[in-house]
Parts: sequence; C-alpha cells; structure tokens
Amino acid sequence: MDWPPTRRTSYARREQNLALIGAVVTGAVLATGLLLLILSRVTPIYSLRLRTAAIDVVAPFWTTIRGPFDVLGSGVDGVGDYIATVPRARQLAIENAALRRALQDHDALAAENRSLHRLVRVVEPRLGLVAVARFAGASSGSYARTAMVSAGNRDGVFAGQTVRADVGLVGRTVEAGSHAARILLLTDPNSRVPVLVVRTGQPALAVGAAGRLLEVRDRLGAEVPLLVGDRLVTSGAGGLFAPQIPVATVVDAREPPRARPEADPVAIDFVAIYRAYLPVPEVPAAVATVPVPREARKK
Amino acid sequence: MTAPYRLLAPQERVRYWRGYAERAVPAVVTLVLVAAMTVPVFVTVPVIPHLGLLGVLIWANFQPGLMPPWLAFVIGVVADVLFGLPLGVNATLLPVMVIGVRLIHARLVASRFGDHSYISDWLFATLVIGVFTFAEWALLSIAGTSGPFAPLAVQAGTTILAYPAVVGLIARVQRRLQALG
Repeated sequence: MDWPPTRRTSYARREQNLALIGAVVTGAVLATGLLLLILSRVTPIYSLRLRTAAIDVVAPFWTTIRGPFDVLGSGVDGVGDYIATVPRARQLAIENAALRRALQDHDALAAENRSLHRLVRVVEPRLGLVAVARFAGASSGSYARTAMVSAGNRDGVFAGQTVRADVGLVGRTVEAGSHAARILLLTDPNSRVPVLVVRTGQPALAVGAAGRLLEVRDRLGAEVPLLVGDRLVTSGAGGLFAPQIPVATVVDAREPPRARPEADPVAIDFVAIYRAYLPVPEVPAAVATVPVPREARKK
Repeated sequence: MTAPYRLLAPQERVRYWRGYAERAVPAVVTLVLVAAMTVPVFVTVPVIPHLGLLGVLIWANFQPGLMPPWLAFVIGVVADVLFGLPLGVNATLLPVMVIGVRLIHARLVASRFGDHSYISDWLFATLVIGVFTFAEWALLSIAGTSGPFAPLAVQAGTTILAYPAVVGLIARVQRRLQALG
C-alpha cells in the first residue's frame, strides 16, 4: 500500500456523494409512496385536511376561468331562444293549461294529505336548503366520479349532505373546505343510494359503476322483474336523502338491471345542497366484545 | 458560482437567481397540467388525458436532471389529492415511472432508434402509458377502489393521443427558456 493513499479528486467524491444521496432519496420516496397507499387503504380519512385544502385552491380558479364562457354560452342561448320563441310560446301555453288543471288536483290532494297526517299525527322532518352552488371542477381521472362546487363551510356546506338538481338527485357531499366542496356523483363506484322502484314498491340500492349507468342491486323481491322505463326514487332509508327524489330510470332490465340517472352533470350548472333529511343517529354505547370473567361480573 | 454573492454585478445576480428559477420550470409546468385536468367537463368516460403523467414522462425523458423521482412524488401527491383518488396511487407510480424511463430509454430506445426520434419517443410513451395504466388499476384495487378496466383504458388511449400536443407545449417552453438565457 502506497503512502500517502491515492486521493480521489474532490469532484469525483462530490459526484459519488451526490449519486449516493440521490439513491437514498429515491428509495425513501418510493417507500413513502407505498406507505401512503397502504395508509389510504387502512384509514382513508387521514388525508381529508389535505384534500379539502386542495379543492379550496382549485375551485375558485375554474369559477374564474368559466366566467367568460358562461357569458358567451348564455349569449348563444339567448339567440337560440329568440329564434324559437313563437313555437315554444304556443307549446308553453298548452302545457300551462294542463299544469293548471294538475295543480288544482294537487292542491286538493295536499290538503287531504295534511288532514290525514294530522289525524295520525305524522311528524315530518323538514328539508333544509343550505346553499345553491355551481360546479367548479370535476375529476374524470380513472374511477373517481366527483365534482367540486363553489360552496363550503362558510356557506354551511359540510360532508354528508344531499346534492340535487331540479330534475333529480346529483349525489352527496363528501369533503368540504372553507369555500368549496367535493360531491360524490351517483356514477362513482363508491356511491350507494337507497331507492324504491315506483311501480312495484321494491326497495333496492342504486350503485355507481364508473360508467354512464347505475346498477340496481340488492332488490327486495328479486323474482319480480323490473321493466324498462321503471322509475327509481330515493326511499329515505338511512336518513341522508329525503324520500321521493327522482334518481334514475331503468333502461336495461336484464339482471343486474341498469338505470340512467335523471340528473346528468353535463347538462347542469347549478345544484342545490340540502341538509341530511334525518339527524345522524347517535352512536350506541360501546359493547364489550371481550368476554368478562365470571369473577368480575356483578352479582 | 465562483465569486462571492456580494461581489456580483446586478446583472450577474439576476442570472444567478434565474438559474434557480429555471430549475423550477418543469415542476410548475407539470403542476399546471395536473390542475388543468380538473376542468369541469362531465363526460361518461374519463376522456380527459392524464396530462400530469405526460408532463412527468416527457420531462423525465428529455431533461432527466430536472425531473428527479422526488419531484414526481410531489406531483403524484398533488394529483391524487386533486382527483379524489386514494393517496399514494400516482405518488408511487410516477417516481417508479421516472426511474424506469431513465433506466430503459437509454438502453432500449436511444441505442437502437437514435436519440429522441419523434416516432420512437411516441411509441415508447405508448408503452409506458400502457404499463402505467395496468399498474394504476392494480394499485387502485390494492387501495380499496377496485373497478372495471375499461374507463382506465379509455383514458390511456386519450393520453397516448395527447402526447404530441403536450410534447409540443413542453418543447416551446424549453425553447423560450433557452432564448431568454
């Protein structure tokens, strides 16, 4: 061995150190990624703060961006409205007459219903409108079918509220930041909505399938087949969605039946957010799952 | 830097700081691409291409020094959070992809088809996007959101088709930077 030992140049040493540090950092990054993945399977809640902060950042951005397009679009719509005015006015007059007749029936029925309810003392939970907001973002990446709206805690929007449009149910809020919230759409694979089949009265679940249509699963009385055109409305079970909100129409009656949602986010700009229909049930007292030894039991 | 900072002329100081700023350009461009994917367009199949994946892939392919794995990790975390995916899917796959691109491209593609020919790069991107999509499907089911493969395949297709546009954008950004510096 020669003395003094052959020294590496400082540049070579620096390169070597940097390569080593790079390898260590890379390994750490990969390990962190896998750890996050496992954590998100075990406890999906831990990243909630991060997510709500992120939607707060992104939603105002899209609200601003889409402003000019909305103005343009409404201008084009206005021109179209003007062109088609006369036929539409005639059609509306006919519809108006029919609806006025229906309204008279409805008033009578509503009065009768009220008096019957009073007779049997039915207590109706009140629907609470929290906010009306517009879509300000969507995630079309892979499976998650979520949308963002520009209303958050500031406006009284929290996770676990009903989101509906005029034509039907849109989804539920799952995350809420201070001025934006994320909506789980009906078509998301994680979405489950308790529904009733209007024609047969069967309760079922409308489950998202990451596609255009919903699947009707867990139908009670599965031997009674559904028909194309059967309407599904919320049943009110679970207390989140109020009863009788239109959800979907069956378009494919083969098992499992498939249904098209009534509210298509493509065609909707504004949604209304309602409080949960019934209060969240109280958590039952903890039940001991470990057997208590006989000596410890009270006599 | 050879001279102490206090001895630098103002112009030299500007150049010194801009050197750092330019290193942030790939990160900023890719994050903007990721944010652009949350555009409020509702369609039944995910036709919005995975622009974040393309950004990371292209920077890792053309400027590996400016797209280290840790940066891909950060971009992946942002993507997962913004898209409402289980945290860790993109955060794991993007760094793995960066490492893979570094290892494979030089040996497999550049040695046979020349350095960065347009077609070979696009084919290579197609391969990477395909593998990425399969891995994403697997990781999603590990993370507890399993589902059909078809929507992911549609997104992979649009991502492959979006490659020329994104590579053009990134080339422009890079040319503009070189023109400045």
